[in-house]
Amino acid sequence: MSAAGRTIAFGQERRAGYWLLAPLIAFLVITLGFPLATDLVYSVSTVSFTALWSPHWRGLGNFVDVLQDPVFWQAAGFSLRFAVIATVAEVALGFALVLILNPLLERHGWLIAFLILPMMISPALIGIMYRLMLNDFVGIIPQYLDMIGIDANLLGPQCVFGTLVVIEVLQWTPFALLALLAAYQAIPAELVEAARIDGGGSLSVFRFVTWPLMLPALGITAFIRFIDSFRVFDQIYVLTGGGPGTMTTSMSLYIYRAFFEKQQIGLAVAASLLLLVAAVLLLRVSLTRLLRNEPA
Amino acid sequence: MWKSLRLSLLAGAALAAAAAIRPAFAGDVTLLFWPGPESEAMQKAIDAYNAGQGKTDHVTVKQLLFSRQGYFDKELLDLAAGSKDFDLSLVTTYTIGRYAPYLAPINPYVTPEMSAQFAPVSLNSLSYNGKLYGVPTDISLHFLYYRKDLIAKLLADPAWQKTYTAIAQAKLGAALTPKDPADWTWQDFEAAALFFSRADNKASPTRYGTALQMKDLIFNIMLWQATLVSNGGNWLDAAGKPEIDSPATKTGLEIYKTLVDDKATSPASISYEFPETNEAFQSGQTAMILQWNAAYAELNDPTKSPVVAGKIGLAPLPAGSLGHKTHVHSLGIGLNKASLHQADAGKFLAWLATPAAMTVYGEAGGTPPMPSVLQALSTKRPEFKLIGNYASQYGFVVKGGTAPYALPVYTALADAFSAYWAGQVPVEKAMAQAQAGMTAAMAQK
Repeated sequence: MSAAGRTIAFGQERRAGYWLLAPLIAFLVITLGFPLATDLVYSVSTVSFTALWSPHWRGLGNFVDVLQDPVFWQAAGFSLRFAVIATVAEVALGFALVLILNPLLERHGWLIAFLILPMMISPALIGIMYRLMLNDFVGIIPQYLDMIGIDANLLGPQCVFGTLVVIEVLQWTPFALLALLAAYQAIPAELVEAARIDGGGSLSVFRFVTWPLMLPALGITAFIRFIDSFRVFDQIYVLTGGGPGTMTTSMSLYIYRAFFEKQQIGLAVAASLLLLVAAVLLLRVSLTRLLRNEPA
Repeated sequence: MWKSLRLSLLAGAALAAAAAIRPAFAGDVTLLFWPGPESEAMQKAIDAYNAGQGKTDHVTVKQLLFSRQGYFDKELLDLAAGSKDFDLSLVTTYTIGRYAPYLAPINPYVTPEMSAQFAPVSLNSLSYNGKLYGVPTDISLHFLYYRKDLIAKLLADPAWQKTYTAIAQAKLGAALTPKDPADWTWQDFEAAALFFSRADNKASPTRYGTALQMKDLIFNIMLWQATLVSNGGNWLDAAGKPEIDSPATKTGLEIYKTLVDDKATSPASISYEFPETNEAFQSGQTAMILQWNAAYAELNDPTKSPVVAGKIGLAPLPAGSLGHKTHVHSLGIGLNKASLHQADAGKFLAWLATPAAMTVYGEAGGTPPMPSVLQALSTKRPEFKLIGNYASQYGFVVKGGTAPYALPVYTALADAFSAYWAGQVPVEKAMAQAQAGMTAAMAQK
């Protein structure tokens, strides 16, 4: 085929590609584009429930208000700390469980169904369950603690953060276990065998074979869990309502309360957009690093 | 044959079209409500209407239930969007100002003679700018619930009285003597709470004196604000300016703080709301609680509360410098401004505002704010008589409590005050934050 012919064929192929992409683009424009455009308008407007169709231009005032609101920074700090600690704990525990339980799970795969049960329960229901279990009059956990002489208020200012992290970790470690187990079982057996023939002990095999091959899965699992933990809402809303005080107000709860309870629609949308920008930046950095580390 | 087939197809199409447009038929009225005891009681009232007066009116009413969680947010969005899928909806004292632009006044359907049957405070609490926006169906206020057996012993036992006075002297700086709960001031309440707490009285029969509700929640502020109003405070001053940074606010906040710091209420009560306080009392480990009237039926039910049922005394909330006070709010049924069936919905509202309808509702579990009905049902529901009396004698709606900004103001107060009770900020800062939050909420358009 001549160069001109190749150019024409390439152009036709390209146009066909656009046509094939068109439904997806139309879907994205409808489902994401319209809400995003509305959000952009509301974020620079004064708007209320009584005047949703007639927002007044406010410039960057909502963004300034958000950035000057100490509760916003407190919520951002809470969400970040919560997400980092919960993610590290979930991935570490999940990986440890994979290493310990893999021989058993290879023989009895049905056990996985039981191990992942916690993540099948809705987070709001988890919140209600723990609200009952932590009740200091009828809850089972304070009763046990009392029996061993510990008088701890697990939802009090000193313990509430740790309590919420533990609840999150207990619910979502099974996800890490599931994702990492799949990656672990996909490591070619011949690689491990070759390492052992070369005289590698368990530690060396883990260090030079398992760990490098597990890194992408660990990274992706951590990334998914981080995003999910950062936007934590349900169990905190049910269990503490963001308190004591505003101590456990997460970013999602901050936005929800600003929007619905305080009717600060512009401010809530501005906070959402700031969160979106932060998430996109994080996604970009994480994906770049993950793709760079991916084995050829 | 072809003719028969065509006729059959036409008949089928007509039936399908009729079914499709049935919701728009005159006579069908939809009530948007939340699930729970109110909707169960309301269903009994609706059944009575549909089987009786509804036939005369040629109106049939049905309920459409949204989930309770976030109900008001969803209802507001639907009202604001001009939804025609429902004709009537739940309205409350604290949302009435916010919803009023999307509701039709019900004065044309509920005449002054009919209104006169209701407790005036309940009508006021569902009125905005001089117009009535809902038929009041439930009234909510607060009681002091106490263990009669424990208080009886305190009033009779000299050894307990001596300890009581010593604790009051040591903790509150006043040598108080025990009184009947109906005569309590806030200081008496504090003294009794301290006496019945093991942290201050090792011989206390209960672990804690009380179980306050201090979670960051608007309903907890409604309960707390009796300490504010009974001591002469309010949301707004006479000129309509915020005055939540007043000495009365500080007094009210410190009553709670003293009790939590001295472990007269569980330290966990900074995360408590309605159910946790009930559980504390039901377990028999708490001597008295400040709680909503709705809790009485459960607390006095021997199957649900075997430890305390039959031993519960009711009294007004403790008195401040202005005497006893209790927050009052009403639930009611309002009329959607966008409804296509306003006249039919109005017929149901007119029926609902009668003593007969309110009796059906009250017998089915509601708390209708109609003194004659409350009195008539008091043999079955003993707390009803007190509800009528307390609402008229001690009931208040804070200044601004029905305004469009009421909900954001409650939220701002809950944020600031729960932070103080949790020890996150000092009282002055909490009050300043509350004042700023209230000012900002009122400034919103």
